[in-house]
Amino acid sequence: MSETQNEKQLWGREGFRDDPYIEAESLEVAGDAPDVILPLAAWLGLDDEVRRTSNRRIGVSVAPGEDIGPLLEKLDTIPLIALQFPAFNDGRSYSKAELLKGRHGFSGELRAVGDVLIDQVVFMLRAGFDTLQVTNPVALERLNARDLHDTPGYYQPGRGSAQANGTFSWRRTPAA
Amino acid sequence: MYRYDEFDHAFVAARVEQFKDQVQRRLSGELTEEQFRPLRLMNGVYLQLHAYMLRVAVPYGTLSGRQMRRLGHIARVYDRGYGHFTTRQNIQYNWPALSDIPAILDELAEVEMHAMQTSGNCIRNVTADHFAGVAADEVADPRPFAEILRQWSSLHPEFSYLPRKFKIAVTGAEHDRAAIQVHDIGLHLKTNEAGELGFAVYVGGGQGRTPMVAKKIRDFLPAEDLLSYTTAIVRVYNLHGRRDNKYKARIKILVHETGTEELTRQIEAEWQALKESDLKLPQGDIDAIDSYFRPPVLPQRPEGWGALAAAKRTDTGFAAWVDQNVTPHKNPDYGVVTISLKPIGGIPGDASAEQMELVADIAEKFSQDEIRVSHEQNLVLPHVALADLHTVYELLLADGLATANAGLITDIIACPGLDYCALANARSIPVAQRISERFGAAERQSEIGELKIKISGCINACGHHHVGHIGILGVEKKGEELYQITLGGSADEITTVGEITGRGFSSEEVVDAIEKIVDTYLGLRTGKDENFLAAYRRVGAAPFKEALYGEVSRAA
Ligand code: HEM
Ligand code: SF4
Repeated sequence: MSETQNEKQLWGREGFRDDPYIEAESLEVAGDAPDVILPLAAWLGLDDEVRRTSNRRIGVSVAPGEDIGPLLEKLDTIPLIALQFPAFNDGRSYSKAELLKGRHGFSGELRAVGDVLIDQVVFMLRAGFDTLQVTNPVALERLNARDLHDTPGYYQPGRGSAQANGTFSWRRTPAA
Repeated sequence: MYRYDEFDHAFVAARVEQFKDQVQRRLSGELTEEQFRPLRLMNGVYLQLHAYMLRVAVPYGTLSGRQMRRLGHIARVYDRGYGHFTTRQNIQYNWPALSDIPAILDELAEVEMHAMQTSGNCIRNVTADHFAGVAADEVADPRPFAEILRQWSSLHPEFSYLPRKFKIAVTGAEHDRAAIQVHDIGLHLKTNEAGELGFAVYVGGGQGRTPMVAKKIRDFLPAEDLLSYTTAIVRVYNLHGRRDNKYKARIKILVHETGTEELTRQIEAEWQALKESDLKLPQGDIDAIDSYFRPPVLPQRPEGWGALAAAKRTDTGFAAWVDQNVTPHKNPDYGVVTISLKPIGGIPGDASAEQMELVADIAEKFSQDEIRVSHEQNLVLPHVALADLHTVYELLLADGLATANAGLITDIIACPGLDYCALANARSIPVAQRISERFGAAERQSEIGELKIKISGCINACGHHHVGHIGILGVEKKGEELYQITLGGSADEITTVGEITGRGFSSEEVVDAIEKIVDTYLGLRTGKDENFLAAYRRVGAAPFKEALYGEVSRAA
């Protein structure tokens, strides 16, 4: 939605960081970039052997309508999974993040890409995303100022939060 | 009643601050209407035909006197002196200025209220039986569980961008007053053979352009598994619900297209993985929430029996009102009073600031400081001593709030329709007003008996026409407003979707058509104790169609 000419920037809880990855349709067109993110179909098309012996990191990008099932048994070999948000209100990738990080213990980098706006940043972190690729100017500005639009407490368990003291089991406070 | 603790107060205050900032940015032009839209929707602010509209959540329809007084105050200071109670137990203000909305939200926060999740594709305000906690036929009060769901669903990180809005309703009685089978999730609180509390779970009910009755997917879910099971349902829906067409995006379509059996399998599989997670409810937490809803200690008032009988003898208006609007309370010295917001010829669901304040006063003095909003757009005083009924009646009467028509033909549900709503095909309110006037005479209404008329101004069905005993739907044909009639709908424990009678009627014809239907019913019922719905179920649509269209209608 917010397709502007703005540069993409990568942000994580600690702030902005450099992005070693490039996105490419296939390894062939990726040139000699060190780290590459491939679309799901291309990634699944790679020979396991090629993936393992490659001297670069090969991440995978998953569209909201695509099934993460085929990735599950290979999770410990995947350095990065990018879940797409073609529009901010397509919420499927939140559930996938929850499943990957919560249920299946994915320990690589989980990245949100696409229509990442400031009002969703906290949801994304709590669903398990490690990094967000941001282009929206307001989001960039607010992240720069570390103004995350957070609430002082949450009513659900989620990543990056701690059990709130002395109250109901489902309540959490943001991790310090 | 539930009371906010520090955690809740801080949470709501933070949201109000965020929204203030967003409104400021909109007013200063930093945000366009386009960019502001999703933000305002998260806070219950709609753009209607003429103005912004603010929808305030009344969780499971329960209010204190102080809260009701504040709603009246907001109507007076920030709106045109009235508010509109809705079929989702909420209240809407139709004319607030955008620049005032942050102040309104501050006023609400002070009395532990907010407007979050009253719009948008998230889990909406959880509704419950408006007689919860007092109904004689109840197994347990469903509101503690509605409150747990309310908290858990507030700004849920995974479920704030669902394919479409998501509505949950809970009842604790066999007789369903919460219409749970036309909700995305319907929960029927009950006990199993061992006497433990749990829920029968229904999924995939809904109205709109494809009305569907929910399917029962589980007979008994232990209460401690409420949040894990709900998470499983909503997760399966979030991942697989259709997003290509907003008219096919509700969970009812997913249930329909996937098949109940297969979808139940997916939900149960997801639940197996979630069951033992942090979402399991400790009994201590259930008890702690439950303690907020303990029934008040009601003093014995046996003198009310005699007083009531005496007052009924001398005041016939009062007698009619008691018979129609007062229902039994668990405690025999008390009654449950329905305050009709359907004065004859009035706008269904509207209440003035003065009326809200009066109801607040009465509730504080005579109803243990409790008020309910019903999905039938009426108010309820849940704990009135029989001994106080006559006093309460006279107070209500003075402000036009003692219409004795609860459940009768003039107790009509109507959506805002073309008078307010940008999506409407036709007016709803004036049709409701004209029907109300036609049948307004007390004897006539009472003779007709229980009859639910529900009117929607378009196929979105905000006025629940599909489940009206008589439903009226505004459609547009070649620039003219037409009204289609459905018969035999019902949203109780035997939920049915009404059948369309045939071609629609013009605005001039529609009230006559309703009268023909009513006369047909009166002519064929076996007696006064066979109400309209029962008679319709016995004889079917044919006699009514014939009355409406004559013999030739068989093709229609
Ligand atoms: C005036 C502004 C309003 C607009 C623009 C509006 C819009 C809509 C739309 C688009 C739907 C269909 C949603 C779907 O099927 O996915 C809907 C359904 C509904 N609305 Fe409204 N509505 C408005 C007012 C109201 C009011 C005042 C009430 C309560 C009296 C209400 C209660 C409902 C209910 C109960 C449904 C049916 C939900 C279902 O399909 O299960 N709405 N509304
Ligand atoms: S039923 Fe249609 S006309 Fe009535 S309020 Fe809903 S959207 Fe508007």
